Amino acid sequence: MDNLVAAVIHDVKNQLAELALRLERKGDALQETRIAMDASRRLTELLLTYRQQSGQLRANIDSANPDDLLQELAVEYRGLFPDLRITVDTGAAPVFAFYDEALLRLALANAVYNACRFAKGAVTLSAYNDGEFMVFEVADDGAGFPDPLLGAAPAAPAAASSRGTGLGLFLAGRIAELHAVEGRCGSVMLDNRPDGAHFRLRLP
Amino acid sequence: MMAVVNPLSNTKVLVIDDQAGMRTQLQMSLTHSGFEKLHVVSCIKDALAKLQGEHYDIILCDYFLGESTNGQQFLEYLRTKDLIGRNTLFVMITAERTYEKVVTAAECAPDDYLLKPFTAEQLNQRLQKLMERQTHFALVDKATDAKDWKRVVAECDRLITEKDKYFIEACKIKGAALIKGGLADEAEAHYRQMLELRPLPWAKLGLARALGLKGEKEAAARMAREVVTEHGSFMGAYDFLGGVLAEAGDKDGALEVLQAARQVSPGTLTRIRNVAELAVDTGKNEIAEQVMGEALTRHKYSPVREAQDYAILSRALTEQGKSDKALGVLKEAKGSFKDAASNVILATVECLAHRKAGNLELAEAALAQALAADHGNLPAAVSAAVADACFALGKEDRANDLLKQVIQNNPDDTKVHDKVSAVLASAGKDADEAQAMIAASASEIIALNNEGVRKAQAGELPEAIMLLCDAADRLPNNIQIVSNASLALALDLARNGYNAVKFKECLRYRQQVVDKTPDYPKLAQIDSMLIKVQKPHG
Repeated sequence: MDNLVAAVIHDVKNQLAELALRLERKGDALQETRIAMDASRRLTELLLTYRQQSGQLRANIDSANPDDLLQELAVEYRGLFPDLRITVDTGAAPVFAFYDEALLRLALANAVYNACRFAKGAVTLSAYNDGEFMVFEVADDGAGFPDPLLGAAPAAPAAASSRGTGLGLFLAGRIAELHAVEGRCGSVMLDNRPDGAHFRLRLP
Repeated sequence: MMAVVNPLSNTKVLVIDDQAGMRTQLQMSLTHSGFEKLHVVSCIKDALAKLQGEHYDIILCDYFLGESTNGQQFLEYLRTKDLIGRNTLFVMITAERTYEKVVTAAECAPDDYLLKPFTAEQLNQRLQKLMERQTHFALVDKATDAKDWKRVVAECDRLITEKDKYFIEACKIKGAALIKGGLADEAEAHYRQMLELRPLPWAKLGLARALGLKGEKEAAARMAREVVTEHGSFMGAYDFLGGVLAEAGDKDGALEVLQAARQVSPGTLTRIRNVAELAVDTGKNEIAEQVMGEALTRHKYSPVREAQDYAILSRALTEQGKSDKALGVLKEAKGSFKDAASNVILATVECLAHRKAGNLELAEAALAQALAADHGNLPAAVSAAVADACFALGKEDRANDLLKQVIQNNPDDTKVHDKVSAVLASAGKDADEAQAMIAASASEIIALNNEGVRKAQAGELPEAIMLLCDAADRLPNNIQIVSNASLALALDLARNGYNAVKFKECLRYRQQVVDKTPDYPKLAQIDSMLIKVQKPHG
């Protein structure tokens, strides 16, 4: 990727970092903080998509604690969406699992952000074992995903939809696929259930 | 908001960020979270000044520090110089996920990365979690700081039985301690077990290290190469593979691997040092000049530089006939490095540069300066380089004396013996001659030690003390000699009563032993004698 582009993205992210901390200190600028954090996350997604497209995106897999990851996301988004009830359920999750924590955090952050935007009142983050896979699930009680999004994550970055540009979803799918063990690899599935939208990221 | 009842008010935090705005915001966020003991600096020079006077519980460091040296290079410097203990948390703040682990060398990873931007609450939560982890590993960290690898293993074993979220991390630390403690078979078994659980790159590299320790160099190199191929951004594997190849004599191959690593990540000065040294050793002086020249320009004024860096650059220039330039480099270095080892390093290469330029008188003067130092307390490689220069100037006797002292000061270190062999080889000695010289030096010091012990047992304590203390001062790294010097003094004190001078000397030698090997068996013997010493009151 172009060094100049990367350098500019880097600078803008630094500015956004400072902006987010400043806004948070002000105390009454929640919406503005949300915008700054979202803009930054999307820049990271853009950067990683470039890397993915040029075959340079790699996962650094090591052991991590699923509960820590979801708790951290919950703290972040409770701060940004104080009116929502964001709960974490990791009772059925292993105490340690193997994945690239930084990549997973990014993939899930996008899902949590979308869930928060479309939820009526509650978002649930959970992790559990499902046979030979471990699943991270983000569920909200909103109206559900639009039909074209249902099923597996798209194979190419999609054009804008009512739930964003689709870049995050595309990237989440690729990040899941980077987690492969002995021929089994991860995947992303979206489905609508009576209680709302479910985003699931499965890891071998 | 977080509850205010916390120990954060006593937690000492050092923030290093070159951007004023970010510094202010971090400071406000941390203060808001309850941290009261905060220091905020803008560059690593100021950070080092702070670290010299104070212990910090947490260091928050931005990866990009504007100036030459980045956060990762700074961390490596702190760790290799033992400037921070394991109980200091080092958190790297980065704007890009992509920079993260790419630059990670196995032993020098920060405790955590924090991706910008983050909210104050996220920062707070992360620090809380890290402190929780720190408490969990407190005893392991303590043993690691003491370099007591057996105790590290024992503490890890205790944690491993808990099978909690730190399970894999405890296994990782245990493996590294087994390697450091030289327990090759246990390390191999441990890593094979880990690999069955999951084929993680660090476990594979660990297995390669264990095999290397067992002397199975080819298998070690093969495995490390696999890691390099499968996980191209796992930098530790390149460095290890380069080391194995260089040790096996394949310096060209080693250079190739490390150059490939530099393509992935320019890396820390340690790698640049290795590249430059290999390049000089293999006659690729232009590469050494280019790589080290660039690095030193980039790291100008940075404390991570070493005199040795300038020495390599100077040698590369000298070898190419650019003596003037080589001397210019040394002049610059002399302004920055004033310690004994650096003086010797720089004087040695200065000697070679003058010699190449045909100024034999100046070469002699520089060599005399290098020889005048107390070589017992210098690293073996430094003394070996001086011996090399002695050979170059035709001073064979001085060279041999120096090499003998190096061997006797490091009687069990095969790497040092290899270094001595290499110096002898480049001076034109054949392998048999070199081996004979090393063996003779080693048996001479063993004989001296035995003589000292025999005298002590025969009751000739003053003679034993004189013999052993004289040798101990000359060979402060020879733990057998130093411990026996301490023991002979302790015997004398127990038998003949307290003497302030002898008591002080005895403790000094004892401390040298403790510093090197805290569980050295002879310490118990020394202590059992010291207990009997009646110290006068007052």
